[in-house]
Amino acid sequence: MTPDIVETVNVAREVAWLPWAVQYFFLIGLSYGAYLVSLPGLVFRRCGWEGISRLALLAALVCGLTAPVALLADLHQPGRFWHFYAYFTPSSWMSWGAFFIPVYLTGLILYAWLAFRPALARHAEDGGRLAGLARGLAYGGHESRKALVAAALLAFIGAALVALYTGVEVMLVRARPLWHTPMLPVQFFVTAVAGGLGLALVFNRYLPDGGDPAATRRMAIALALTQCAALLVGAVWLVLGMSGMSPVHAQALAEVAPSANWKVSAVWAAVATVVTLAIALKRPGSGLLIGLLALHSAWMMRWTIFIGGQEVPKTGAGYYSYQLPLGPEGLMGIVGTAGLWIFLFVVLTTLLPLERIGKSGATGA
Amino acid sequence: MKDQDPREVSASRRAFLRGIPVLTAAAVALPAPALATHGKHHWAMLVDVRKCIGCQACTVACIQENAVPEGSFRTVVSTYSVKLTDADHPATQPAGTYMLPRLCNHCAEPPCIPVCPVGATFKREDGIVAVDGERCVGCAYCVQACPYDARFINHATNKADKCTFCAHRVDAGLLPACVETCVGGARIFGDLNDPQGELRRRLDAAKAEVKVLKPEQGTEPRVFYIGLDERFQGKVEGQGTLWQPRKAHG
Ligand code: SF4
Ligand code: SF4
Repeated sequence: MTPDIVETVNVAREVAWLPWAVQYFFLIGLSYGAYLVSLPGLVFRRCGWEGISRLALLAALVCGLTAPVALLADLHQPGRFWHFYAYFTPSSWMSWGAFFIPVYLTGLILYAWLAFRPALARHAEDGGRLAGLARGLAYGGHESRKALVAAALLAFIGAALVALYTGVEVMLVRARPLWHTPMLPVQFFVTAVAGGLGLALVFNRYLPDGGDPAATRRMAIALALTQCAALLVGAVWLVLGMSGMSPVHAQALAEVAPSANWKVSAVWAAVATVVTLAIALKRPGSGLLIGLLALHSAWMMRWTIFIGGQEVPKTGAGYYSYQLPLGPEGLMGIVGTAGLWIFLFVVLTTLLPLERIGKSGATGA
Repeated sequence: MKDQDPREVSASRRAFLRGIPVLTAAAVALPAPALATHGKHHWAMLVDVRKCIGCQACTVACIQENAVPEGSFRTVVSTYSVKLTDADHPATQPAGTYMLPRLCNHCAEPPCIPVCPVGATFKREDGIVAVDGERCVGCAYCVQACPYDARFINHATNKADKCTFCAHRVDAGLLPACVETCVGGARIFGDLNDPQGELRRRLDAAKAEVKVLKPEQGTEPRVFYIGLDERFQGKVEGQGTLWQPRKAHG
């Protein structure tokens, strides 16, 4: 059947938040998610969490250091980033974000330093690689519980603000119904925590002994809980949209419902979540698989929201079709951040090998 | 503008010239420019959709005037093929064409402004929504926030870009390039504060017929339309265009 209206001439707007932005939201989410996983072992000293919490802290650090670079690259005028600090604009959540990120990163770096100091000192003593640098960084290698808790608190405040602003900044965009739902920040948060757990699980798997099975199981249960939360949030979103109880959700649903691509994405996300949940419950020892699945879901969710969301014209008919360019505006954004991530990971784990970080009770922190 | 004889220009331009406080010999002879409320201008546009012939002269004039890079547009005339019902045109033709000139609405409540993290997007006293190119960091938050897809990132400047109502021309007493060139006389530009101006008079005369795009967004556009079909007031339901401008960048 021919439609009643066919658009013959119009502008196709390109995506303006590039894959760099997806990478930023993914990495900063993983970072604060992993930071939360570091708390039970390092701050609350929960039995059996020490090793995995230290691995999570490493994950938070690597992702937290990579994320701002992706954010900067998403600016079309990266050299002007200082304008954020010179022209603070309180009406803009992005402007606030420019101040929240340094709070979080300062807290996180201090916290990681205080947590890893003793291990760094030991690494230097044992004559490990880059021992000189490790000794310098350890700066005596003392443990200072109070300072660690204070730094973790600062990081917590920063993490909470970052989680808040990254969600609200996108949620406030009324011009894009898909983004403009109060559920969006919750979805970001839940998938971020799942991703943080996932990355810690992946690190755990690469410990020489394949990771402490008890810790893996504990993490699997935590991951299963996040997947339940994700399913619940998704279901609430759908019910609100389909029943028409909430006009913003109904609008969001109406915007994407006619698209086949969107149906595939939605089914994919739901299936991936259910599969992760099922494996986490049935085979809690399969840390690597569920870890990777959680990471994949966290990334896919952001890709779909950001890139997919920008494929919906605000006034024109139909959908724009996005093709990932190979240059700095597209694929390079993904490859570049991945490269930087790997570089930082290699540097940090050379200074402090994974097995030293993951060793239970190694520092008594 | 000083050299122009008002008798030679279009109705909309003549009306516009009356509102310009730049006193020239010709202007002095015209009826006193009754600039209301504190003598301040508030620029706006009225698009009479019924008069648009879809020639895209405005689209081209804008690109030339503002050096808009290939593949980007500050204004465009969206064109739609619309199936005719039998009642409209009994068995004569299956479809008609509907044209809708689009541009920045210079909203009175512009959602693009509060989101800008560095205060680069602002509203001038005369109502024109502008971007300070020296300050813009190219974060594209404003591009996301505009409900009309009026903004884009200019790949030549790497800054936010959009229609400025040709502020540089207006400040010099000229009409925006698209208005100047409009073949059908569909675009009327003028001062909302000038009760004698053509814009105000046409708006007042057409009152009930005057519409804006996406009124439910609360943006209070200052680009008004006459002859705006409801089916085109928001996001258009139909088949999307297959044509995409060739990307001018890598
Ligand atoms: S149309 Fe868009 S860009 Fe123009 S003022 Fe309104 S919100 Fe801003
Ligand atoms: S792209 Fe420029 S004008 Fe737009 S929000 Fe960012 S800094 Fe402001």
